[in-house]
Amino acid sequence: MMDAIKHFINFIAAPKILFNVILLSYLIIFPPIKPFQIIHNTLGVDRLWTKKGGIFIFSLMFLAFGFGLTDPNFRLIVLKPDNVPIVALLFLVVFFLWFALTQAKANDEAIAKGGKPKEWAESREKVLVFPDLVYIEFIALIVAAALLAVWAIALQAPLEQPANPTVSPNPSKAPWYFLGLQEMLVYFDPWIAGVVFPTVIILGMMCIPYLDKNRKGLGYYTYQDRKMAINIFMFFWLVLWVFLISIGTFLRGPNWNFFGPFEYWDHDKLEVLNNVNLSEYVYMIGLKQGLPSNIWLREAPGFAVLIVYFGLLPAILAKTAFKDVYQRLGVVRYSIFVVLLLMALALPIKMYLRWLFNIKYIVAIPEYFFNI
Amino acid sequence: MPAQLPPESHYDPKNLGKIFALVAVVLLLSIIGIFVKDYSRQWKDYQRQFHALEVEKTRIKLDEQENDLAKNNEYQKLLKDLEEAQNKLHEQDSKMNLINGQIKAVDTVKRIHTKEAQFAKAQYGALKYRYEKALHESQMDASQLKNRLDDLVLKIEKLRLLLEADDADMKAKENMMAALQKNFKELDKKRSAFTKKTEVIKRKLKKTDLAQMSAANQAADMVRDLPFIELANPNYKIHQIVLKDIPEDINFMKTQRVDRCTTCHLGIDNPDFQNAPQPFTTHPHLELFMDKNSPHPLEEFGCTTCHMGRGRGTDFISAAHTPRDAEQKKEWENKYSWYELHHWDQPMLAGPLTEAGCFKCHENQTVIKGAEKLNLGLNLIERADCYNCHTITKYQDWPKSGPNLEFIASKSTREWAYHWIDDPKSIRFNTWMPSFFHQSNNNDAESTKRGQQEVHAIVEYLFANSKPFRVDAIQSTSPKLGDEKIGKELVASLGCLACHQVENQKTKTPRTRDSLHREFGPNLIGLGSKTTKEWLYQWLKDPSQYHPGGRMPNMRLSDKETADIAAYLIQDKSSLVNKPIPPVDNKVLNAIVMDFLKKSSTLNESQDQVKSMNQEDKLVFAGKRLIREYGCYGCHQIPGFENEKPIGTELSEEGSKDLERLDFGFINIEHSKQAWFKQKLMNPRIFDKQKVKQPLDKLKMPNFNFTSDEADAITTALMGFVKDRPGHAKMADQSMKTAFINEGAKTIRQLNCQGCHMIDGEGEAIQSTVTDWLVAYQARDLNDAQAVTKSFSPPNLVGEGQKVQAQWLFEFLHGPTPIRPWLHVRMPTYSFHASQINSIIKYFNYLDDQEFPFTDIYHPNLAKEDLEAAEKLFSKDYFGCASCHIVGHQMPGGSADSWAPDFALAAKRLKPEWIVKWITNPQDLLVGTKMPTYYDPNNFNASAPSNILGGDAKRQIQILRDYLLTISEHPPQVKPAPVKVEDKTNQAPEDHTQTNQSK
Repeated sequence: MMDAIKHFINFIAAPKILFNVILLSYLIIFPPIKPFQIIHNTLGVDRLWTKKGGIFIFSLMFLAFGFGLTDPNFRLIVLKPDNVPIVALLFLVVFFLWFALTQAKANDEAIAKGGKPKEWAESREKVLVFPDLVYIEFIALIVAAALLAVWAIALQAPLEQPANPTVSPNPSKAPWYFLGLQEMLVYFDPWIAGVVFPTVIILGMMCIPYLDKNRKGLGYYTYQDRKMAINIFMFFWLVLWVFLISIGTFLRGPNWNFFGPFEYWDHDKLEVLNNVNLSEYVYMIGLKQGLPSNIWLREAPGFAVLIVYFGLLPAILAKTAFKDVYQRLGVVRYSIFVVLLLMALALPIKMYLRWLFNIKYIVAIPEYFFNI
Repeated sequence: MPAQLPPESHYDPKNLGKIFALVAVVLLLSIIGIFVKDYSRQWKDYQRQFHALEVEKTRIKLDEQENDLAKNNEYQKLLKDLEEAQNKLHEQDSKMNLINGQIKAVDTVKRIHTKEAQFAKAQYGALKYRYEKALHESQMDASQLKNRLDDLVLKIEKLRLLLEADDADMKAKENMMAALQKNFKELDKKRSAFTKKTEVIKRKLKKTDLAQMSAANQAADMVRDLPFIELANPNYKIHQIVLKDIPEDINFMKTQRVDRCTTCHLGIDNPDFQNAPQPFTTHPHLELFMDKNSPHPLEEFGCTTCHMGRGRGTDFISAAHTPRDAEQKKEWENKYSWYELHHWDQPMLAGPLTEAGCFKCHENQTVIKGAEKLNLGLNLIERADCYNCHTITKYQDWPKSGPNLEFIASKSTREWAYHWIDDPKSIRFNTWMPSFFHQSNNNDAESTKRGQQEVHAIVEYLFANSKPFRVDAIQSTSPKLGDEKIGKELVASLGCLACHQVENQKTKTPRTRDSLHREFGPNLIGLGSKTTKEWLYQWLKDPSQYHPGGRMPNMRLSDKETADIAAYLIQDKSSLVNKPIPPVDNKVLNAIVMDFLKKSSTLNESQDQVKSMNQEDKLVFAGKRLIREYGCYGCHQIPGFENEKPIGTELSEEGSKDLERLDFGFINIEHSKQAWFKQKLMNPRIFDKQKVKQPLDKLKMPNFNFTSDEADAITTALMGFVKDRPGHAKMADQSMKTAFINEGAKTIRQLNCQGCHMIDGEGEAIQSTVTDWLVAYQARDLNDAQAVTKSFSPPNLVGEGQKVQAQWLFEFLHGPTPIRPWLHVRMPTYSFHASQINSIIKYFNYLDDQEFPFTDIYHPNLAKEDLEAAEKLFSKDYFGCASCHIVGHQMPGGSADSWAPDFALAAKRLKPEWIVKWITNPQDLLVGTKMPTYYDPNNFNASAPSNILGGDAKRQIQILRDYLLTISEHPPQVKPAPVKVEDKTNQAPEDHTQTNQSK
């Protein structure tokens, strides 16, 4: 029975499935379109954003974690001193998500009834720097210091033997905060995953204040007033960042292979890596002929896809799904917004292409190390 | 104005205060926690325990000493005398008080005078300067100053006289005092000589034992180990040994080695703690390690140099301790919560594996004395010839050891060769030829089929490429067939059994280093099915014809002897396997050929090629490729493989290999190098288990059927083959002398000299077979036979370097001549290279500390009376030398077991100084020798015959030596009386080889 459950969880944890599960959960919790809204409503997801819901969520999490701890392989990975912060991160992320959404729900309900958000009253209140600010900051400082001290006593620094240039650790993992980027390396070339994406992420975050013209929802927790902004942010944060870090920490083993949470990290495990470029799909499989020697001709399908994706798609979206967004933001803001969004979506799209069609590169010009 | 809370306050400050108090306590506790964690270390507990143990031991020691003194009559009497003397002294008290008073008075006066003199001298200095200045500047008052200066000089002199008088007075008084106390003082001095040891212990206790310390020290002792204060001078601190010249290799660089082991192993170099519990136990071999006078002092070699592990670690786990076995592992897990420190590449070597640590410095030595497991491992590597397939630096220039296969067709048949290669152990149970087939990764039905064809192919290649070798028919002049009975006795007596066995059955006794000498050559069973009598005859006559450079020496057998031995050995046909040989299967053979062909050509080409080959071609082709695949040419000379490189992994630094590079496959054993090595040695193919592999990808190492103990020993050696070696300064002695000794020892091992001779404490494996021979053929009972075994065995070569002359040894090794004609065992003739002989000569001489060129020129010079005296000593009336020793052609009487070498050889053979030493005390040079001791070493001169040369023992020995050297040059004319020895085999055959005979 236990084994069956573990097997099932290991099966679910395979990236092709787990990503869908996470994506689906995300879509249901933060529904961007009608159909998901209906599921959202039917399931009554909103009931989670109450005290009872919180107890439910955390009972579930602790139960799952406790169950996992009965397994030696799970214990080995989760209780490793290096990984303890990531475990804490998972719990903290969920806690703050629940905390924010619970407040938001209360406020939204108050506003719907024509009232004011809770913070409205508070923001009129004036308090003294001492004790209201300094004192509690000081207490927080002490708590943090005590926590660090206890942590340092309880867990030894994870030091290893002297580095040996002839032996690379397997798996070789980046620090936890870069594991999201390292995960991207599975799907993109280093120059994209390691250079372009991080730059765009930073630029994109710098753009947020200029793109977001919504005056509502300032200074108080709300979901309904900033639905789109929160949905998009949560997608970046939960799906493309926290999720990838967790995967990188707990589910990527030797040779960067995927391992279920209850699976032994076997160094000899081998996985199929037969990936095909888009041009090969078109010419060799589709047209049953050799690849053209001209690089431009060869990669024409890939470029076409890119042009459609980044050139035409924004325009089409402006006329259809994002009609009101377009009107609200204007041409320049809209263009920047939509390109950033499409870039972010490129990651899950590439993941899907890889899983479904074994697509290696959309544009593959290894002659100039230019692969997308 | 009372502090009013501002009404705007959002939080209740009282509550905040409570929270603050709470978290502040939490922080305080966590900070205390940091201190506690940092302060309480396991090693401090150990040091405390050790301290208590040490104090206890010291107390016991003190008690013992005091008890001893209490029992010592002399001391007790002394104490009584002392008391008496003291009483007497008290009687003089009034007198002494008086003198003391006088001394004090004189002293006071002297002090005053001294002071005055000091002042006067100071004034003189200053005045002198003023006067000099006045003179220089021609001042008016110069003359006045001069007068004052003169006065001062007078005063100083007067004071000096006074002081001298004071001193004399003082001395007189003190002498009076000393005279009174003399007796008492002397006795007291004697007493302190007795109590010296106890005083040392007492002083130690005062420093260490809290109960005996002064109050100030007690207080200091209590606080010195408190947190923070301990930074100054704590009792409990980390002890470390820093070794700059034995660096630790941390991959990118080398750092100095820091060993903190003695932080807990506090009694390691102290013999008092032999029975103390761990970690305080004394090192078990203080004579070799730790001690300042041992070859490996603790301060110079540390611990991890040999033991490995993490020297910087200061707790049980971080020091990378390794349990000896599963039992200890369990014990440690309970006791220390032990777990393996994964992040350290050189865990401690446990149990007998520790000896591996010796190798890194003692690589050049053939035998590393004291490291028996390691030696056994190295000897097994030598015997199994691991170095033929696996390059090992130590064995780089060692020869191939398997039989020469260049002329195989003249020696054996295809059928025999098939069975042999297929399963050598079925033919000779203890052969060193390893098994390639029927192993765990090729014993399924399909692989067995393939294996059969592989053996066919290898046999075919060997026989098809065999060079012609003429095997002569047995000479018609010698008895045609040979007498197998005589042959059997010859094998038993000539010395064949020093290297060979004739054993049909497995013995249960495990292999030892000693027994390995007798496995140097093959077990001589089943030769009848292997070869022909003619071939054996040819081989025994001159092995170097068939196998130039082989191990088998020439025994200088006569034709008859050869025929007899051949007749005896050939009669054993028992081992011929009656299993049918499977026919050549073309389909399987094609697959084998294809496997090789498709490696280098396309599938189509390969198929065409297979089609174009006939069966013979295929067999020869596959045979060649298979011989290369299995590396047969590593041990055997095979035509067509003269320049091939060995196929095995290099093992020179195997002990430093990263664990990640060892494939454990699906075998569930402990993940450690030693476990892997052992598993590999015991079943070389096991790591293929449950793996899907193409035939040519399978593991190829053949099976030597090592026992667990043997595998352990070899593992020990392998663990010693490491990369990081200590600096030059710490390596074992590297002088030229040692180099020569090592070189010679290597030659001696390669030739198995120790199969017969005792050399450097090892050898004489042959002796048990000599006993057997004495029982079987000389009609002696077992006890008798054992008693005289040594007399019929090859000589013990202890001290050979100081005994024999280099020139003689050279000639002897080149062409042995008889020294002990009564021996049946025969010194063989080796086809030595001059450099090999030289290396042996240097070995013996340097081993005995002889100086180059190892020989002094000495001319005996006997005056007439000396000659007469020597003759007397030599005669039956005195030492009766000729009653045991052969003198030229004159054989001594009695039975051969009391005979001794020929004096006629002395001048050419023996070193003159040695003869003197030998006569003086033979037991000193060769313990247990039959040579009588004529001069009592404890009563040297008195034991000499007093009526010769005035009983001067030294002189007697010298003239005896000179006499021996003289008779050796001109043996005394005696009637030739060839003494026939009672057994017939000693009669040399009447043919031309007789002149060659030597024993």
